[in-house]
Amino acid sequence: MDVTREAAGAQEGVRAEGAEDAGGVPALRLSGLVKAFDGRTAVDRVSLAVPRGSFFGLVGPNGAGKTTTLSMAVGLLRPDAGRAHILGADVWADPARAKELVGVLPDGLTLPERLTGRELLTYTGLLRGLPPDTVARRTEELLAVLELAEADRTLVVDYSAGMRKKIGLATALLHAPKLLVLDEPFEAVDPVSAATIRTILRRFVDSGGAVVLSSHVMTLVEQLCDHVAVIAGGRVVASGPVELVRGGQSLEAAFVHLVGGRTGGAEGLSWLAS
Amino acid sequence: MVGVLIRMRLRVLRHGLRGSARAAPFLVGSVFGLVGGLFTAVVLAVGGPGGAAGESLAIGTDVAAALLAAWTLGWVVGPVLLSGSDETLQPEHFRLLPIGPRRLAGGLLVSAVVGVPPLVSLVAFAGLVVRGATLGVGPLVVALVVVPLQLALVLALSRVVVGALGAVLRSRRGRDLGVLLAAGTALLIVPAQYAVKAIAPILVERRSPGFVAVLRALPSGWAPVAVEAAARADWWRVVGAVGGLAALVAVLAWAWSALLVRRMTTPPSATGPTRAGRKGAAAGGGLWALVPATPVGAVAAKEVRTWWRDARRRSVLVPGLVLGLALPALPAVLEDDRGHLGVGVLAYAPLFVIFISTMNTGNLYGFDGTALWHTLVQPAAAGADVRGRQLAWLVYVAPVAVVAAFALPALSGQTGAYPWLLSLVPALLGGGSGVLAVMSVFAAYPVPVQRSNPFAAGGMPGCSKALLQVAISLLMLVVALPEVALVAAGSVVDSAALRWLATPVGVGVGLLSAWAFGRIAVRRLEERGPELLAAVRPR
Repeated sequence: MDVTREAAGAQEGVRAEGAEDAGGVPALRLSGLVKAFDGRTAVDRVSLAVPRGSFFGLVGPNGAGKTTTLSMAVGLLRPDAGRAHILGADVWADPARAKELVGVLPDGLTLPERLTGRELLTYTGLLRGLPPDTVARRTEELLAVLELAEADRTLVVDYSAGMRKKIGLATALLHAPKLLVLDEPFEAVDPVSAATIRTILRRFVDSGGAVVLSSHVMTLVEQLCDHVAVIAGGRVVASGPVELVRGGQSLEAAFVHLVGGRTGGAEGLSWLAS
Repeated sequence: MVGVLIRMRLRVLRHGLRGSARAAPFLVGSVFGLVGGLFTAVVLAVGGPGGAAGESLAIGTDVAAALLAAWTLGWVVGPVLLSGSDETLQPEHFRLLPIGPRRLAGGLLVSAVVGVPPLVSLVAFAGLVVRGATLGVGPLVVALVVVPLQLALVLALSRVVVGALGAVLRSRRGRDLGVLLAAGTALLIVPAQYAVKAIAPILVERRSPGFVAVLRALPSGWAPVAVEAAARADWWRVVGAVGGLAALVAVLAWAWSALLVRRMTTPPSATGPTRAGRKGAAAGGGLWALVPATPVGAVAAKEVRTWWRDARRRSVLVPGLVLGLALPALPAVLEDDRGHLGVGVLAYAPLFVIFISTMNTGNLYGFDGTALWHTLVQPAAAGADVRGRQLAWLVYVAPVAVVAAFALPALSGQTGAYPWLLSLVPALLGGGSGVLAVMSVFAAYPVPVQRSNPFAAGGMPGCSKALLQVAISLLMLVVALPEVALVAAGSVVDSAALRWLATPVGVGVGLLSAWAFGRIAVRRLEERGPELLAAVRPR
């Protein structure tokens, strides 16, 4: 099957690039992660290497295990087996070091809801042990850049879905991490804010940081990311530089092909014709 | 349409009963309801105690009017207190169908008759039919008419009240209000028990004609009044009561359909976003200035704010503070004539405050839901998180307990309580803040997302978690032992020095237990953080 060949080729691409990378330590390395819920395997031996300075997209159909994988990568879900390393620090054996290096934005989890955006950032910074003046300065800048400054007195519980994503991103950026792990960062975000977030992430990568984001919007991943991994049924079916994975077609076409899907909707429904 | 709606209700009901875990509470509730219904029916049928014919007839009507008033009150208060109104079929589900709201309101109202609570109520009200039959053919016919009307009345009234509240409660601020309302209603249960004790003799011995007149004049009393009037062949009164009942049901149905139109045509959040502070929220706000800019200080400030701003948190903390003071005070006021407890317990209210506040709030991570992730991704934040939470709890509970500990013995003239209180209050405050942390980490349970149902405030811990909570709360006894032993020994050998030695010991034990129990919670949070996150995730 050309799918497996493609996947194997993609894996080689990653390995080759990982070896070239300065120091050889990937920004994020997942090795053999396994997670089962009630006997059903959600993530099945997922291994990935995210090179430093890369913009890494994680794509897959609904229920493929993207969120489960990312939760295990950042220490929010204990894997049944396997390891996760952030810039060489083991997430489960040396959590303090790993958590200093990573900024996280999960999807669908609440924040400390009864704080304003400013209070949330101040709280986060002080909890991280940052100096108070640094916290104040960065909070000010983040609120201004993310256009949350005028919502100064609104509690997070009253934020719109897009504003929540933005304040969540701000808490992830506050301590100047080296790696960002973002679960569906563009979901429910309006186009203007999405462009702002894209620019911020682009600059973060250009200055040497690495970003891992999950999405099911293929065009977005195609535009934004230089690396991509496709997850289906809890397994990595392809991973590597975007060019290699899509192999001459659009990422969307390659994706449908890779996950063994078939675009439905062509049969039946004859009564819909007016 | 009504047939379709009824079938939908039955299907949803059946799906809700899949699995014994869901069916068991439903069955137990149904059995209890049925027993209550049958009891009411028997009392309604028998009427009052025997006596002169006319008087017995009137007493029976009074008792019936009181019982029906209680059932009607239950239909209004029940949805506020329990898991919310009957939302098996939500009007919003039909928003996109081409059905007019008036027709939909009618359909939903008729289909609302299908269900266990209306059935149980019908059983209860049917006692009136039996009573009518014993009084003659006229009363029987009247009873057959008024019983369905009475059922329609409670159904429509319940819908209108919950609908009107719901219109308020759909904004977040309104929901916060609803949570407090439910907590406040729960607080009324204690005084209500005393009230019920007082009512029975009033009715049977006809002590208070005014009260009885009010019971009869309330719409809930019109059905028994109509039956009684039929027995007396007072047909004008029969027509008035039955006509009034029918008119009231019609008005309520109309009001509900109007509320329904509003509910289906206005967006859920009518009021604007809540502001955090009136002014001066800039530059970090005043609170940050008061606490040191350390991780522990940051958590404590966040928690103090959250206790203040989150209605759900308030609703578990405030009753503890109020009930703790009210519980010992109530017998002091009410059982004065018998002098059983009298004023004796009042001075010890601070201990109740601490104990109830600990037990009520011992699910800190459950209240915060999945926000725990935010702590888990910070390096080495578990210690700061637990310590900050302990401090913030003390900020609210300690002042109330300490002031009460100094004031109440003086006010009630029980200065003998001072050695007990001044040693036990610091020990239990420290111990309570530790037990709170241990409970929150070891026996956490999910609390439903507030968006789904305005009245679902607390969530239930489940059997094993509740047992675990009780077991953990025994630590409070351990904390209290040294002080109790010292003061008791001091009393036995009559040594003031020994009695007062308990106070510094209490302070020491408080500090030690707050530190040690907190340490246990910190360890657990460090080691099992992801598992705790999974445990508090609402299902």
